[in-house]
Amino acid sequence: MNSEPAPDTQNQTAFIVEDDPSICEALCDLIDSAGMSTQHYSSAEAFLDAWTPDMAGCLVLDVRLPGMSGIELQGILTEAGLSFPIIMMTAHGDVPMVRKAMKAGAVEFLTKPFQDDELLQALEQAFSRDRALRTAKTLENSILGRVGTLTPRERQVMELVTTGITNKEIADSLDLSLVTVKLYRGQVMGKMQANSLADLVKMSERIKAP
Amino acid sequence: MGVDPDRISNWLVAFVVRPFAIAVFFVFLALLWTFPLQHVIAYPFVFLFFGAIMCSAWFGGYTAGSMAVVLSSIVVTFFFVPPFYSMSIAREFRSYVAAFALCAMAIAMVSSSRRHSETAVKVARDQLEIRVQERTAELQRSNHEIAERERQLRLLTEAIPQQIWQADAGGRVQYCNGNLVEYMGINPNELRGDVLFTFLHPEDAAPFFQSWEEARRVNGKFEVQARVRGVNDAYRWFLIRSNPQFAESGEVLCWYGVYIDVEDQRRAQQELLVAQDDLARLSRTLSMAEMAASIAHELNQPLTALVADAHACRRWLNVEPANMERAVASSERIVRESTRASEVVSRIRSLFSKSAYVREATDINHLIEDLARLLRDEALRHEVSIKLRLSRDVPFIMVDPVQIRQVILNLATNGMEAMEKTVGIRELEISSEILRAREVVVTVRDHGVGLAEQTMSKMFNPFFSTKLEGTGMGLAICRSIIEAHDGRIWADASDCGAAFHFSLGVNT
Repeated sequence: MNSEPAPDTQNQTAFIVEDDPSICEALCDLIDSAGMSTQHYSSAEAFLDAWTPDMAGCLVLDVRLPGMSGIELQGILTEAGLSFPIIMMTAHGDVPMVRKAMKAGAVEFLTKPFQDDELLQALEQAFSRDRALRTAKTLENSILGRVGTLTPRERQVMELVTTGITNKEIADSLDLSLVTVKLYRGQVMGKMQANSLADLVKMSERIKAP
Repeated sequence: MGVDPDRISNWLVAFVVRPFAIAVFFVFLALLWTFPLQHVIAYPFVFLFFGAIMCSAWFGGYTAGSMAVVLSSIVVTFFFVPPFYSMSIAREFRSYVAAFALCAMAIAMVSSSRRHSETAVKVARDQLEIRVQERTAELQRSNHEIAERERQLRLLTEAIPQQIWQADAGGRVQYCNGNLVEYMGINPNELRGDVLFTFLHPEDAAPFFQSWEEARRVNGKFEVQARVRGVNDAYRWFLIRSNPQFAESGEVLCWYGVYIDVEDQRRAQQELLVAQDDLARLSRTLSMAEMAASIAHELNQPLTALVADAHACRRWLNVEPANMERAVASSERIVRESTRASEVVSRIRSLFSKSAYVREATDINHLIEDLARLLRDEALRHEVSIKLRLSRDVPFIMVDPVQIRQVILNLATNGMEAMEKTVGIRELEISSEILRAREVVVTVRDHGVGLAEQTMSKMFNPFFSTKLEGTGMGLAICRSIIEAHDGRIWADASDCGAAFHFSLGVNT
């Protein structure tokens, strides 16, 4: 597993979506002073237009936006499977909105106006969550890539092996000889770069998990 | 002209055969009796034949009587006048026979005419009898019809789902229908006279009798709403109506009246009023809340930027070495945002100040009267009566009528709400007067809970309220309106309530 390419932790950005240019400017400056990079958008639509798959970091999102609201943008991102951590900025008393966003999985809520520590801590937290998500995603992708190199028969054998049954039972259920099963099994371990059966089972669990 | 043989034979039977047979029968009978009797009585033939003629005329009519006269004369002449058994008459008997014949004819005539008139009388009597019977039957029929109609009418008055009563010209109740009796739960006979009206609620009795007497004085209709006690001692609201019934001469015969149960209607109306009131209150607080939210948002935006900028500025200064360039940029934004925030504040202030300066010549009394009319329903709901005491000397003054109206409305509403728990007099008095020919003073006086010392000092301040759901803006707005008119507003309290006054200069 040491051969996994590490996700790019240095290139995380705070994507600010806020319609008030003064707030935008102030937030960019504040985050910049903490040594983090920022990008800002004046609406949810503008952010979606600019979005690319290699964007890493988190969203700093205003609940009230012209056009698409912050909550709606969160919904769209969740549906598309883009697990961006989100920091919501709300006005005081937007309790129903907060509840809605919380259910949809926002990381943190900041009630305007907020202190620098609140924002910077929330960003740290969001970045580490983003890193974890990205690492998991990269690992998953490499396992899926290795599974892609297996032949259909090898994939069958791998599925049965990871359920924990013996070679004899596999041979019976696939109507193959014991020797053939052992041969396939060796090939699967090699192609999947698994050091042990436990390793293989872990990989299989990972790609099965939702 | 052909003659019907049947008619001829009928005529023959009626005018020849039948009279002749009757005459022959009676004359023969007389003859038979004469023979034995002539040995006992001298000349028995005289009365016997007279009898036969009488009977013939009686039973056979004039024709039969005449025939009997002729036959009797022949028979008498033949048998009983000498010379016997011949038709010749001895000289000395000629006058006798003539007298006999004449008497016989007279008898026949008398008898037949008597018979005739008797028959006529009988026919007339029979006809009379028939007429009497017909009239009797007719009378019975119409009697029956009248009884049936009366029964139907009675059924109708009993079946109508309304309480009906009837009073004589003097106003004494004579009839109450079943519904009314049932509602009050007493014997119908006991409701006569003035008893019916003793079931009115004590508070409603006076207005009722006033309009009832007024209606009787002018002989006009009347209509009053009053509470009436039912069998279970509970009161329900009724609409009591009565119309006079006039005789042809123009005087009142009697009064017909109804009691219409309007309890449910009144309750629905009250509920509607309450609902309207709640709705108005809700929308008022809602708009306040909305306004507060939008003000908060307006101010929050520059404040958010400000706080972030200030933090950034501090951070640029805190790094080693301090990044002065970025710190200056941040502090410049701080200045900019502070200015923006203060602009928001002054914009809000201008929103609340009066948009247009209106002053028009206004009749304060007219304004109060108008308002009192508008407040009638509200007063009804609070069970408060509104009394106006307006000085006729109050001149027109230059004010914004809409705003002044708002002030009086606010004070009146407060006054009514203050009397929520008042037991005694529930009266709101609105008065106007002119002071030293310079000031018009309007006073709104209630009999409510009065004012506490600490309330007095603070009640005109914004956000001060003694009410659970009050916004605390009412009196503050009143004061700002009156002060904008260069007037004064003040209050004083006594044991029996509070009075709010405001004065407006005559020249303003």
